[in-house]
Amino acid sequence: MRNSFLFILIVALLIAIIGVFSIYSSTSQKIGQPWEDIYKRQLLWIAVGLIAYFLFAGFNYRRLWDATYFFYTVCVGFLALVSLLGIVRLGAQRWIKLGGFNFQPSEFAKLAVILFLARYFSRKSVEDISLLSGKFGVFRGLVLPFIFVALPMLLIIEQPDLGSGLIILLVFVFLLYLTQVRLKYIFTLVTLLIIPLPFAWHFLRDYQKQRLLVFVNPNIDPLGAGYTIIQSKIAIGSGGFFGKGWLSGTQSQLRFLPESHTDFIFATFAEEWGFFGSSVLIFLYYLIIRQGFIIAERTSDAFGKLLAYGITLLLTLQVCINISMNMGLAPVVGLPLPLLSYGGSSILVTFISLGILANIDRTRAVF
Amino acid sequence: MDRHKLLGILIILMFVGLGLGLFNLNVIQGRKYKKLSNSNCIRLIPQFGCRGNILDRQGELIVGNKISYDVLILPQDLSSLGRVLGIVAQVLGVNQEKLWKAFKSGYLCSSMPVTIASNIDVKEAILLGEYKVNEPSIIIQSKPLRDYPYSTLASHLIGYLNEIDRWRLTKLEDYGYKTKDIVGFGGVEEKYDYYLRQEEGGLSVEVNHQGNFTRVLGFELPKNGKDIQLTIDLAVQKSAESYLNGKKGCVIIMDPNNGEIIALASFPNFDPGVFIRRSTNRIAELFNSQQAPMINRAISAAYPPASVFKVIVAAAGLELKKINTWDTIVCPGYLYVGKRKFSCWETHGRQGLKEALAHSCDTFFYHAGLATGAQNIYNYALKFGMAKPSNFELAYEVGGFIPSPIWRKLNRFQNWYDGDTANLSIGQGDCLVTPMQLVNMMAVFANGGYLCTPYVVKSIGGFDVSAHKRRLINLRLKKNTLNQIRQGLREVVSDPQGTGSVLASLSVPVAGKTGTAQVTRGQTHAWFVGFFPFEKPQYVICVFLENGGPGHAASVIAKQVIESMIAQEAK
Repeated sequence: MRNSFLFILIVALLIAIIGVFSIYSSTSQKIGQPWEDIYKRQLLWIAVGLIAYFLFAGFNYRRLWDATYFFYTVCVGFLALVSLLGIVRLGAQRWIKLGGFNFQPSEFAKLAVILFLARYFSRKSVEDISLLSGKFGVFRGLVLPFIFVALPMLLIIEQPDLGSGLIILLVFVFLLYLTQVRLKYIFTLVTLLIIPLPFAWHFLRDYQKQRLLVFVNPNIDPLGAGYTIIQSKIAIGSGGFFGKGWLSGTQSQLRFLPESHTDFIFATFAEEWGFFGSSVLIFLYYLIIRQGFIIAERTSDAFGKLLAYGITLLLTLQVCINISMNMGLAPVVGLPLPLLSYGGSSILVTFISLGILANIDRTRAVF
Repeated sequence: MDRHKLLGILIILMFVGLGLGLFNLNVIQGRKYKKLSNSNCIRLIPQFGCRGNILDRQGELIVGNKISYDVLILPQDLSSLGRVLGIVAQVLGVNQEKLWKAFKSGYLCSSMPVTIASNIDVKEAILLGEYKVNEPSIIIQSKPLRDYPYSTLASHLIGYLNEIDRWRLTKLEDYGYKTKDIVGFGGVEEKYDYYLRQEEGGLSVEVNHQGNFTRVLGFELPKNGKDIQLTIDLAVQKSAESYLNGKKGCVIIMDPNNGEIIALASFPNFDPGVFIRRSTNRIAELFNSQQAPMINRAISAAYPPASVFKVIVAAAGLELKKINTWDTIVCPGYLYVGKRKFSCWETHGRQGLKEALAHSCDTFFYHAGLATGAQNIYNYALKFGMAKPSNFELAYEVGGFIPSPIWRKLNRFQNWYDGDTANLSIGQGDCLVTPMQLVNMMAVFANGGYLCTPYVVKSIGGFDVSAHKRRLINLRLKKNTLNQIRQGLREVVSDPQGTGSVLASLSVPVAGKTGTAQVTRGQTHAWFVGFFPFEKPQYVICVFLENGGPGHAASVIAKQVIESMIAQEAK
């Protein structure tokens, strides 16, 4: 698609509106003021997100190069703040109150890390303006950027938010692969990350261990840790081909499905719209992601290219992991479905990322 | 390969994987998850219909239904449960612990009422109803329960009700039967269970994740089962049972013109109510009793027919012209067949066919049997419906057995000797028949040569089915044969020396044949099989007494039953 700006805008808006309908459906049976307002709040956030999209689409992304370290520092600062005085909700300390809104710094930290990595790996040599990353040794190509990634990542995992932390790590590995860093370094990193996994088991919290166990077999604890995954699969499966119809999904309407408006909104949607609706939704995500990769491919600027890749990868991984987790194909980790799940920070960050993506495509002609 | 391209392929693969996962859940396993989803949120609150009544031929109730009361607790508010159970325990006069146990074992979820006591007294139900004002969680549910106003009357014909067993469930699952269904066992209750059984109606409600009621999805009225009208005459049945009472055996009265069973009594019998009351001890007693009260002796047990069988020998001999009506033999009280001496029960002197029937002369029938031949006797026995079930409606009918030379050769590897023929001629040896078969055989002589199929159900749900049941097979016997044997049977009663002369004093002319079957252990079995009135027979009667002594004993009971039938008719 030539005009990325309009294309991304339309598809993203479509997904977001589907999201509002699903949030409305999943909360319509819940009684009380906060529940009745929840879809309105989502609408408000989408409006804010659209403004952000227009702003960032018009704002030359090269300026972000300069703001990278500032942005990074602010995000890490906020993450530190969260662990000090954040709001505990759903057993995790992920939010801080900012001017009447609960805001989730980890969503912004994902973008900040991508910005940082894009800048770090697109520095050019002063002598021959070739990319430095090809000449990086182990320390500069692996250890140093890893330290910068690990700082926000560990803060996020501490919250605890294993999902977002692992997403950052995965994006880092994929971006390393896309730069000119030698493959053997990447393999070393992956190996080093995999070897301690059995030991990491002891550092997991009990509920995280349980989630992994019930991922292998949900029936060991059908009313406890396995409950969500079983109910989510029932919700998706019972939708059949055309679904039960909007506002008629028994799993979400009768509240058998927990977190039906946030992490498990895909199950809510699939129950009411069936295989047909879900395929369309997945296809819409695919369209945006494909457009992201197309933009990254045709951008010649190294920073823009890496940034576009990073943003698209972040989106892809979140979408894939969230939907797999809804279908019981991945362990349950706290990850929202971008654009669909309820959550202001997630919506805002996603629209900002998409705005940057649109701008990269618009500006590439300049260079 | 280019790193970018590889990544692109990886992304596409991920999306294809998502699509496949979705297809698997929604389309391939969709049905399973749809079921799971429904069982999550749909609950059924049953309402019971009545099982169909069983009526006699005049439409009088034999088995019906009464209302029973159950106490249910709606466990939505657990804090008051102790108090509520206390009230119930006080009213019913039972231990509160027992109610707790019943509650715990019956609890499903907070929206489903739990039955804590069933089958309570009307007074207690009303009293608990008063408490309901203050304790709304108490529910008194009335539900129809099988009622047996005559307790043991016709218990073998009717059968009993019990929870469905595994074997029946596997057969009946496709017809909508479920575990814990109450179904009929034995008799009409089993055979026509499909018509008698009520359809459970009820409320289907939707509940949310906490099991709380959200809305009513639908309501279906329960449907009552169909009433079944039997051909049984309640008054005759009652008198048959009262005269049989205390003696092992059975009484069958049938209309020979169509095969309707007017009365069928078998003793010892059982009270089907014990299965409703679930009194485990009594049920175990019934099944373990040496007296076998659960066996319907009229169709489910076979006995040697003894002298009654002579009728068949006579018919076979006459039909095949092996014997005739004018020749006579002299009965010296025994007959040598080969070297073996076969004795008669008395010295009868000169005997023709009619006299031999009247006096039940064994010697005459040894001669007749030997003249006719074993195979011919066997063929005629089969023709008269022996050795195979009579196609009576009810289940568990046995076929009985008639020996034949071929059977002996094939199964025992032994030859058939004339002595065996002599034994067969008087219905001894390996011969086994059910009382129902003998009734059927006697009906042939009563109705002029037709073998009928006995049946007991006249109409189902008001729809007359007797036309489908009535099946008369013309045996194509010669008029002369029938007349001669009918005369002989009449003389059994009318001849002062006849074995059934005790029945001669009755105001209706009766014809019939007695039998006294030798058994290896205990007293002889007593038979009387006959029909009346002689000229235009309306009833065939069979009285059989297991280890009941000589045939005379059966004749006495037959006389009493016929007497009471005449008295009723006169009314």
